[in-house]
Amino acid sequence: MQEFIQTIVNGLQTGCLYALIALGYTMVYGVLKLLNFAHGDVYMVGAYIGYFVIRWFGGPTSLSIPVPLLLLIMFGLAAGGCGLLGVAMERFAYRPLRDAPRIAPLITALGISFVLENTVLLLFGGEPRSYSTERFISFSTGIHFGHVSIDTVQILIVVVSVGMMFGLRELVQRTTLGKSMRAVASDREAAEMLGINVNRTIALTFFIGSAMAGVAGVMSGLAGIQVANTIGFLAGLKAFTAAVVGGIGSIPGAMIGGLFIGLAESFSASYISSQYTDLIVFGILIGTMLIRPQGIFGRPALQKV
Amino acid sequence: MAQIGVDEWVAQSGGRRDQGTGWRKLLASAEDRVGWWPRLALVVFAGLIAGQLINDVNLQNVAFNGLLYAMLALGLNIAVGWAGLLDLGYIAFFGLGAYGFAVLSSSATGSGGNGGTHLPAIESVPVVVVVAGVVGVVIGLIALRLSGDYLAIVTLFVGQAFMEIVNNIDPGTLGGVNGLYSLDSFHSFGHQVTSPLGFYYLALVMTVALAAILHLLDTSRTGRAWRALRDDQLAASAMTIPVNKLKVMAFSFGAMVAALAGTVFAAQQNTVFPTNFTANILILIYACLVLGGVGSIAGAILGGLVVTIGEQLLSSPNDAGYLFYGLILITLVLRVRPWRYLAAVLAGVVAFGFAARGIVGAISSSAVAGGPGSGGWIGSAVKHYVIVPSSPATYGNILYIVLICALILIVRLHGIRRLLTVIPTVYIAACCWESRLIVNPSITTQIMIGAILIVTMAARPQGLLGTRRVELVDQ
Amino acid sequence: MTALLELDKLSLAFGGLRAISELDLHVDENEIVSVIGPNGAGKSTVFNVITGIYEPTEGDVRLAGESIVGKRPYKITTLGIARTFQSLRLFQNMSVKENVKSATYGKTKATPVESILRLPRARREEREVDALAEEVLGFFGQRLTGYRWDQPAYVLSYANRRRLEIARALATRPRLLLLDEPAAGMNPKETHEVTELIGRLRNELGLAILVIEHDMHVVEGISDRVVALDHGVKIAEGSYEAVATHPAVVEAYLGRDPEALAEGA
Repeated sequence: MQEFIQTIVNGLQTGCLYALIALGYTMVYGVLKLLNFAHGDVYMVGAYIGYFVIRWFGGPTSLSIPVPLLLLIMFGLAAGGCGLLGVAMERFAYRPLRDAPRIAPLITALGISFVLENTVLLLFGGEPRSYSTERFISFSTGIHFGHVSIDTVQILIVVVSVGMMFGLRELVQRTTLGKSMRAVASDREAAEMLGINVNRTIALTFFIGSAMAGVAGVMSGLAGIQVANTIGFLAGLKAFTAAVVGGIGSIPGAMIGGLFIGLAESFSASYISSQYTDLIVFGILIGTMLIRPQGIFGRPALQKV
Repeated sequence: MAQIGVDEWVAQSGGRRDQGTGWRKLLASAEDRVGWWPRLALVVFAGLIAGQLINDVNLQNVAFNGLLYAMLALGLNIAVGWAGLLDLGYIAFFGLGAYGFAVLSSSATGSGGNGGTHLPAIESVPVVVVVAGVVGVVIGLIALRLSGDYLAIVTLFVGQAFMEIVNNIDPGTLGGVNGLYSLDSFHSFGHQVTSPLGFYYLALVMTVALAAILHLLDTSRTGRAWRALRDDQLAASAMTIPVNKLKVMAFSFGAMVAALAGTVFAAQQNTVFPTNFTANILILIYACLVLGGVGSIAGAILGGLVVTIGEQLLSSPNDAGYLFYGLILITLVLRVRPWRYLAAVLAGVVAFGFAARGIVGAISSSAVAGGPGSGGWIGSAVKHYVIVPSSPATYGNILYIVLICALILIVRLHGIRRLLTVIPTVYIAACCWESRLIVNPSITTQIMIGAILIVTMAARPQGLLGTRRVELVDQ
Repeated sequence: MTALLELDKLSLAFGGLRAISELDLHVDENEIVSVIGPNGAGKSTVFNVITGIYEPTEGDVRLAGESIVGKRPYKITTLGIARTFQSLRLFQNMSVKENVKSATYGKTKATPVESILRLPRARREEREVDALAEEVLGFFGQRLTGYRWDQPAYVLSYANRRRLEIARALATRPRLLLLDEPAAGMNPKETHEVTELIGRLRNELGLAILVIEHDMHVVEGISDRVVALDHGVKIAEGSYEAVATHPAVVEAYLGRDPEALAEGA
């Protein structure tokens, strides 16, 4: 029973991270019908930004500023930096291809992902790095009952993620920007004719999506996941799966899909096999595709003639 | 509404192309005159001559790799170029072919290195290829429940799943992370291929045969149907074309070609490791195809050769400079017109560099204390030109970021401002190259491969030899 | 005698929206039937149901007495119903001739292996397909022959694209041809040509033709029978004169009174 609850807690933590990354995938896909394969690498860059913020303020053992301030700076810089990275990608790589054959931006996305991974390798080297969170946020803080422990970082991850998800939903549902995004998503040309600044809307979509991936990167570092230039690939793949399982283009879908994949992964690691978790996630993807191809929250696409 | 004059203008476009100037015209008219079979014969002939001329074992291996990637690009082209399916699981079939051959024709699976199955290539290769085809059909059938975009994710997972299986399954069978050793070379009917030159010829024969087969397929009803469904899936299905069946076929044919390439690869290497089949290699194959021209047989072969040669050049500090400075020069020559501007830019680059180095050297002699990373005559030529401090790593990293920003800036600027920005950018590129990029040739290679994909898609989506396509974007 | 094409109480709903309601329609051998109706009346949707792109919610579609509901579009075309699209869907990057040849896929049988080895069946089929393509393109006089054979479809003029769509549909060797606004966007001279062409298709190739058309001159010139649709419901059927003056048709197009007309515009 304790193991069961602990598994749920761990699954929620991973799931929240996947959900945050998945939101970026889903937003960009919803607005542009573009699969941004480089999105996982934006998450990786976010994790690195967090790492260097810790180093900048004296390293994990001798921080020169209070922890809450450190967290704030980490999240802020990662969100801002990754957001700008996303905007730059959109502006210089994807925008020229907006009316190109469908396959062109996908190939560009592969290229960007590869360049980002290797640029980080060139600049920072290949050795994995660790936030060593336990040196400044003790594991013993948080909630403990019996042998089940939920430490502060896990609580932080869940609270921040859920907060951001609801914030995003409100943004898309209520603000002018959200309305523009939905308008561009349903018909870009018509939106343009109605006076919506399409380029700006798309750039902001990239900014928000990438910023959330950056925050996810910092949180994964805090959660003790090693930071390396290759972590973006698998995280991106799983988050993408989460977006598809939830119904790509749907924001609640990405959240639920992320949590679902996170839980599935943590349960299969605890109860089945830790070596084949990726295969099990793959199985879930295939299963979803066969039973409900549009995903949990997706609507079946009507073929236009 | 018919637009006045448009019909005529369009009708004459072919004529206008023939009236182009200089080498373009020569090339175009030569291409028209020579038919397909003579061209293929020319390739065979060139390949045989090259085989006779290359005595160096290293070069023979490079030539083999070039042909291997040409084959892989040809196979990838079936799904990506002809049927328009973004197949990211392609690498798994390459791995399947290699591991299949390793299991069927090696000592690796037996105990003590003496047992194992030792099927001759004439038996093991067809078995492996057919198995890959069948697996391709199964995965294709699953993936086809999805529209085009989801196909990418499912196939990407296929590649990942393959890695996970070979890494984790019982090491006694597939070797785990250590791979499989001491494979047989290709042997059949009492003959065997062992020497690098032998493998080169084998790859040459296979590549040419493959190109011929694919050309015949491309010009048949199947090829037509693929092109039709790539242009408009719905219209294709309304014109008696069973879209799903053809997609599965494209997927499976590509898988078979990849598996075939895998068997030769395994035999030539004599070993197989999981790391031979990572996403990096997949991107490399994509770079070959995209650079050569998606949809073009000749382009896939050319792309395979060019990318392999480029990779080889980059790995040697003496030769990498040729590629790097050569690329810059070619880009400038092709993009800067008229020639007066070109001359001005080139002179500007030289003058700017010496001036910058002179100033920096006067302020601090340690800032220019480091030598260039290039060797050979290029190294000595740029020795007094670039600024390389004694410990160049951090400096090079900063330059790299500045360089990327400068390149982005060039894309944004136009006219004379762009030309003025080009001058310092080229100099920064040279300094960054000498201080950082050439020091890590393997990473630089990867970055360049990624850049090939991005730049080709933006500047010349049809690649070197492809035909430009129009596509109606339907949402 | 059974009709060549028969729609029997055909209904189609998207969610709560009824696009077609209990539509009965038939086309006899060698007959030209026009479908008219205001925009959004469900005309193209009827075509999409017949060709298998949408599956009807209720009712049946029969070709020569056999139901074709639930069959894949390529199967239905192979059985003998070919169509053109209102929003031109040519294979843009293929040549004019290849566009036509690609439509013979369902009537040829050579496997990839036969094609690669150029075995007798593959060669024979290729010759036949080539001849068929030239024959079909020859139907349009000089418009689509000669140097145009090898031009990619995207360079063609609008009118020629419409012609090529018809040629491509003919290459499937249909018994019934569905034409979706064949004269849309054409000038008066070209429209006149289309009218003649449709007549020739019936007389020379013995086809039955179902046409959607807005141009009343075309409809008058070609139709044996006219069917008027509005909101997915058949509101009139009969000769051109009878349908054109039918009160329900006039109302569907012009509205009941001036206010409704203003709203409709």
